[in-house]
Amino acid sequence: MGFGDYPAEYNPKVHGPYDPARFYGKADVPLGQVKLGELSQWLGRRNKNPQAVAAAVSRGWWRWQHKYVLPRKGGIAPYIQLIVGCSIFFYAINYGKMVAHRQRKYHCRKTHSISHSNI
Amino acid sequence: MLSRIAVQSARPIAALQSVRPVQTSSTKTSEVASASAAPVVQFKGPNEGVERDHVGFPRPLRPVNPGKVRVGFVPEEWFTFFYNKTGVTGPYVLGAGALTFLLSKEIYVVEHEFYTGVAIAIMGTYGVKKFGKQIADYADKGIGEIEQSFKEYQDSSKIGFEEAITLEERAQKSAEAQIMLFQAKRENVQFQLEAAYRARLHHVNNEIKKRLDYHLETERAQRQIKQKNMVDWIVRNVMKSITPEQERLMLSKCISDLKAMSIKA
Repeated sequence: MGFGDYPAEYNPKVHGPYDPARFYGKADVPLGQVKLGELSQWLGRRNKNPQAVAAAVSRGWWRWQHKYVLPRKGGIAPYIQLIVGCSIFFYAINYGKMVAHRQRKYHCRKTHSISHSNI
Repeated sequence: MLSRIAVQSARPIAALQSVRPVQTSSTKTSEVASASAAPVVQFKGPNEGVERDHVGFPRPLRPVNPGKVRVGFVPEEWFTFFYNKTGVTGPYVLGAGALTFLLSKEIYVVEHEFYTGVAIAIMGTYGVKKFGKQIADYADKGIGEIEQSFKEYQDSSKIGFEEAITLEERAQKSAEAQIMLFQAKRENVQFQLEAAYRARLHHVNNEIKKRLDYHLETERAQRQIKQKNMVDWIVRNVMKSITPEQERLMLSKCISDLKAMSIKA
């Protein structure tokens, strides 16, 4: 199985046309309905194959697209969501550099030799 | 709404490829609302048979309106998730509180780019509020034209095919008429053969009659000659056998008879 193939469980006679946002494997309990005690079992049942992880990311991306980008009368929401999402992501990966620009070291004036600032 | 412009700029789309996205959920709301228990099957694909699972995997429809958002980008589901516990202002308080926490602890560092972002956000909000509707209407009109052209292609194709069907049926009927024509021509030829046969039969008849007539005539002529010959021979022989005294006797008798008759008359 190479890149770009249909999932192995997809059968056009049963499932109809392919929808990249749908999961065609065996149906499991949705995460919102999993009881707290069963959470570890539920996580154990997940497929941790990197291909399955990539497939899950792809399905999430397609679900977001179906909801906000592809409708007939789209709005400004997906653009703002993308901008905010990318901003947060890039801020997170550059956090080390951001820490150096903190202003709190200038908030307390050093009057004594012992400093009380906590960085 | 800029996505509408993006779709419009990708205008050279194969018409057949984009037929399904034309089928939106808003056109089927009445049917879906009326058949809420059993899903309505509107379209049957080429590979689908009896094993098609319409309950778990219904045919996807393209929605007309996107998911609802608040403050431009926050999905509505996040607000309704908290509604039961915290009421209407819950998510806003959560957002404001989180932002305050991030700013005060300097996890969200206020630096040079922060103010750039604030300025861009203000200008962007103003631009969206002022020009959003215009751009949306313009893009909707463009997409409406594209969809209209698809529908017209479908409808005109249907009309063209129906006309072709009518022409084809007419051609079939005329082909049947050709069969009748062939039969008529065949019968014609049969008649001609019959006529020629009868003409020849007539000719043969005439020829035979002529030959029979010839034989008849020759027989008659021969018999006539024979008869004449016979009569002449008989008369000759009788004349020969009449002696001169017989002749004198006959003559005197005739004279006496004549005298007797002249006396009476």
